[in-house]
Amino acid sequence: MEIKTNDYRVWANGSTIYYEGTMRLSSPEDYAPIQALMKQVLETHEGRIDLDLMGLEFLNSSGINLFAKFTIEVRKLGGVGLGVRGTARIPWHAKSLPNLKKLFPALELQIL
Amino acid sequence: MKASFGAQRPDAVAPGHWSSRLILHGSLPVAWAHCGATAELLGDLYSEQAARAGKDANEARHGINYLTNELLENAVKFRHSATDPIELDAAFVDGVFEIRVRNRAEESVATNFGKMLEQLTTSDPNKLLLERIEANSMSDVPSASGLGILTLMSDYGAEFTWQFEQPHADAPVMIQTHASLCL
Repeated sequence: MEIKTNDYRVWANGSTIYYEGTMRLSSPEDYAPIQALMKQVLETHEGRIDLDLMGLEFLNSSGINLFAKFTIEVRKLGGVGLGVRGTARIPWHAKSLPNLKKLFPALELQIL
Repeated sequence: MKASFGAQRPDAVAPGHWSSRLILHGSLPVAWAHCGATAELLGDLYSEQAARAGKDANEARHGINYLTNELLENAVKFRHSATDPIELDAAFVDGVFEIRVRNRAEESVATNFGKMLEQLTTSDPNKLLLERIEANSMSDVPSASGLGILTLMSDYGAEFTWQFEQPHADAPVMIQTHASLCL
């Protein structure tokens, strides 16, 4: 599964979803294909999902909302672990990814 | 309609000290692409000034980029028409990145925005951000919920003021957003 544009790429390898590039999509509807990919991985992998954002240089507020909604969805599902990996090299990771852990305290957050 | 929100700081940037001035307009796809391009340009320009002032250039570049992008995306999304100009002024003053964005919006849009700002400027942004995210997750209807502004307030420490001016009844409302980001 892969979504690729000139600005970003999202792909899944097993239960890990990777994101790289710059995401500045204009509406929640524009993020729908990415949301669908994430949902498909969630539905086909029991136990644990990992989101690797280490290559995601920029994400606008609509995109942050996408990850927040997914986090809440996993939380409500129950019984599924969620890991999120970011990097200290990209400033927004340390600033905004902790909010995902506030939404879902069992989430495992690594800022490497 | 005439209103203001947030703690006004009219002397934040002295007259004549705004160092960048841009005017943007165009259809949504064009204007949207320009939001990112403008945000990256200002990030590059002002992070150099910030670095000379002893600030972390990477942090400065990203913060300026994110703030500028959010303000411009909001202006493009809620502007009165595609041919309406969006005006942007920017400056780096005493370690603070200052940005001012002006655009016209339909009276109904401005009224709804004003109601949202009333809550944003009188609540704890950290708490309101999580509440809004939770509320948004339960709705299938996309909404202009102010998450971007709340993220900037909560995660970046940005400070905002807004001024609304309407020349006469039923006319589009000029909305001025002024943000300050301590680098």
